[in-house]
Amino acid sequence: MIDTNAYVGAFAFRALRGTAAGDLLRRMDRYRIAQAWVSNPAAITYRNAQPANEELAQAVRGHADRLIPFAVINPGYAGWRDDLARCRTLGMRGLRLYPRWHNYKLTDAACVELAGAGLPVTIPMRVEDRRQQSWLVDVPDVDAREIGELGRAAPGARIVVLNASGGVARAGLPGNCLVEISLLRAELDNEIGQLIEAQGEERVVFGTGQPFHYVEPALLKMELLGLGPAARARIESGNARRLLGVTG
Amino acid sequence: MRRGFMAGASALAAPGEGGWIDAHSHLAYRREDADRRLMAAADKLGIAQLCCSTLPAERPMPLDGCRLSNEWTAAGMRRFAGRVLGYATANPGHGRAMLDEIERWLDAGFIGIKLYNDHLATDPVVAPVVELAIRRGVPILHHAGHTSWLPGPQPNISDAGHLAVLAKRYPEAMIICAHVCGGGDWEWTIKALRHSPTVFLDLSGSVPDEGVVEMAVETLGAARLLFACDLSMTASVGRLRGARIDAAARARIGAGNMRGILARRRG
Repeated sequence: MIDTNAYVGAFAFRALRGTAAGDLLRRMDRYRIAQAWVSNPAAITYRNAQPANEELAQAVRGHADRLIPFAVINPGYAGWRDDLARCRTLGMRGLRLYPRWHNYKLTDAACVELAGAGLPVTIPMRVEDRRQQSWLVDVPDVDAREIGELGRAAPGARIVVLNASGGVARAGLPGNCLVEISLLRAELDNEIGQLIEAQGEERVVFGTGQPFHYVEPALLKMELLGLGPAARARIESGNARRLLGVTG
Repeated sequence: MRRGFMAGASALAAPGEGGWIDAHSHLAYRREDADRRLMAAADKLGIAQLCCSTLPAERPMPLDGCRLSNEWTAAGMRRFAGRVLGYATANPGHGRAMLDEIERWLDAGFIGIKLYNDHLATDPVVAPVVELAIRRGVPILHHAGHTSWLPGPQPNISDAGHLAVLAKRYPEAMIICAHVCGGGDWEWTIKALRHSPTVFLDLSGSVPDEGVVEMAVETLGAARLLFACDLSMTASVGRLRGARIDAAARARIGAGNMRGILARRRG
């Protein structure tokens, strides 16, 4: 399995349990997760996100086969192109964007340019449930329709919506947008099943949100979907591998 | 064997001998299809019994709405005999008529009382309902949240602090603080209940944050925690299965504590 939604590092508003690379690797072993796309949550609240990317590169050194670093780039901040170039040299293989936390629109010209830079783009719709946010902040979820607009404005981009909420199946996302499952239901109204029905299993990917989230709920969702082995393999790893440009 | 619910369960189920008891669930008024989906998901996830209320759509909850909702719950208890245990939905603001309604359903086999956000838990209007619950030996499942933001207005929503005050007034009452994982700042909620030993905490909700169960066990002890879903079933089953706690604690939380509550019923 490939976890497209994982983190190494501390978050400003809650003490996460197990934030070091070794902690994540042990958790991945426990659940037989082969690889994880990771970013550093510190970048969410740093004004200048680049030091968090540097920290991440250090943290995952020696684990390139399992921990795939994703850079947090704020395309509204001075020097973002320099940061992007630096992150490429650090071995970052994808991007993670926080437009509401970093105060820009996904359709801003700089963001469209960033999305077209050739790296997979992951966009968490939320970091935490809005009901539990600190009194210091009031950050709304990213609207899935805005992500769809970015997908249309940058047709060559490969985008994954992380921590997606239930309305994502009705957002009319274009074909270059995929959706990660960790916050969607596989029971009752079966939001994941609706999503597969609406846009096909090739546009759905496995993810957990660890260590923000427990891993088990995402595993249960995969079980509950009752997919055949081929469809399950695509969601659990094949689609993510394709996004990274890895074959086989 | 009580029921054949495990027959349709996959390998992901079987969380424990006899299955878990969901201390906080809901039936969907006049939507039998939704209720059937609920039971099918419970089958797959190894949930043996579900403690359900039905909520009317109107706020504050009208007396007639509570009556109709409770009738739907009673029908659900018949349709899913042995699987669905009923909470009587109540708005304490309706006074004597509401108390009569609660008594009627407790006489009919309901296992507890569900209070929503019509009144703060500390409002004196709630007291007669609490006294009735004490007399009958049944729990009150109380909606709660400590939030910085809500999708809609809930001016009378209680939080764990209100429930702690109520528990101090009525130490004999069995109060269940609802959905710690769907009620905002869960760390605040857990800490607010530390010194309220008679308040149980239901672990339900859609937020799958890692560490909730562990912190609740460390702060409150496993004996005060109840497995529950509030319709977020994979999140809630996964939360308890994934928590780094010992097997005995998991079994207590999964079913043992709720069985203990049910055993305290009088009359």
